[in-house]
This record gives sequence, C-alpha cells and structure tokens, in this order.
Amino acid sequence: MLKIGFGPQGAVVIEGRLDAAQAAAAQSFLDTVSGRTTLDCTALEYISSAGLGVLLKTQKRLRASAGQLQLTGVNRHVHDIFRYAGFDQIFEISAAA
Amino acid sequence: MTVARTFPARLEALADLVAFTADAFGQEGVALNLLKTVDFVLEELFTNVVKYGSRASTAPASVQIELRAIPGGIEVGLTAYGVDDFDVTQAPQVDTSLPIEQRRPGGLGLHLIRRLVDSIEYQYPVSQMQSRVTFRKTSA
Repeated sequence: MLKIGFGPQGAVVIEGRLDAAQAAAAQSFLDTVSGRTTLDCTALEYISSAGLGVLLKTQKRLRASAGQLQLTGVNRHVHDIFRYAGFDQIFEISAAA
Repeated sequence: MTVARTFPARLEALADLVAFTADAFGQEGVALNLLKTVDFVLEELFTNVVKYGSRASTAPASVQIELRAIPGGIEVGLTAYGVDDFDVTQAPQVDTSLPIEQRRPGGLGLHLIRRLVDSIEYQYPVSQMQSRVTFRKTSA
C-alpha cells in the first residue's frame, strides 16, 4: 500500500499510494524529518487530497525553521495533481525522468 | 453493462474500493490512463461521506459505486445511503495561488475534482435521505 523511509542517499523514499487511509502513517514519519529534505516520489503511484495535506503540513513546519521539502521523481499523474493544487508554487518539484 | 458494488462508509473500505475500480475498468474495457483520475475523484467523494455522512443518524452510511463504459471513457455513479444533503458540486472554491502561509487544510479535494472530470451532477431526494453524484471522465 504505502512505504516510507530513508533511502541510501539520505532522501526520504515514498512508494505506493498516499491516500486517506495512509495519510496518518506518512504524516507520522514526515513529522520526524528536519532541515532541507528530499522526498523521492519515483515510486509514488497516486496521491489524494489527504496526501496533499500531509505534504503541505510538512512544508509549513520545515519552512518555519528555514528548512524545505523538495519533491523529486514525480510521475505525470501526481505532477498534474500538484499543479492543479498550486503546489508547483510552494514546492521545488522535479519530474520523473 | 454497469458494474456495481456497495461499500460501508468506512476508511478501511478504501482499499477494496480501489481494487473494485481496477477490476471494473478491466471488465468494461476502459482506458487505464483514466484510472488514477477516477480513483482520485471517487476517493474524495467517498471520504467526504465517511467524514460528514450524517449528523442525524447513528447508523453507518453505505455507498454504492456504479461504473459504466461510455464512448471514450467512463461514467461513474456514487449513491450514499443514510446521509445528509451536501452538494459537493457547490463546495467553495479554493484559491490555489495563495502563498503557503495562507493555505489552510480542507476543501482542496472537492475543489480539484471539478477540474478533473468532464461533468459532475448531484441529486438529493430528501424523502430517501440519499445523495447521488454522477460524473463522467473521458480521454478527450
């Protein structure tokens, strides 16, 4: 369903579906990160508004202490959702290769 | 042909709903590039029922999902039983251009679904205490 954890390069790697049923688990993990953090979304298949809320809350917290959440490897569907939600203006986002 | 199934209005049913939708796309021969968008819209509508279904009733609500292939896409019906009247098509717009400091949680899902579908309609026969949302999504 959803996996989230630190990858070998130090980025947070998220895999699967970030939906309403998984949002609490993702939030719980992201509440532990600090500073400038990269979220590798290469294997993130799907995100709903519950997932968007998790990312927004995390970005607000990190920015409050001069940190930032960067989103990398974003697939087309997820990128469309980010764009419609205006997230392209509040996150640094790089698309999947 | 229409493929239909009823789910309890509980968050735990979301995984079954996703599996059902994927199966229905296969049965109906609907283009798979529409699947995630349909999943997104269904999840937003379904979780809206889970969160706000009925203030008057203590009985759990249930939700019937129907999917039917149409030329170039799919028509989806979501009927929620035992719920209050809440027209999801009239939910307030969200200003997605606001800076992060002014962004507030809530409302984004219903705002986004209007951008994602070709059309969406809402009905609420008061005497039956059930809402019905019908939306269409095509590749066009």
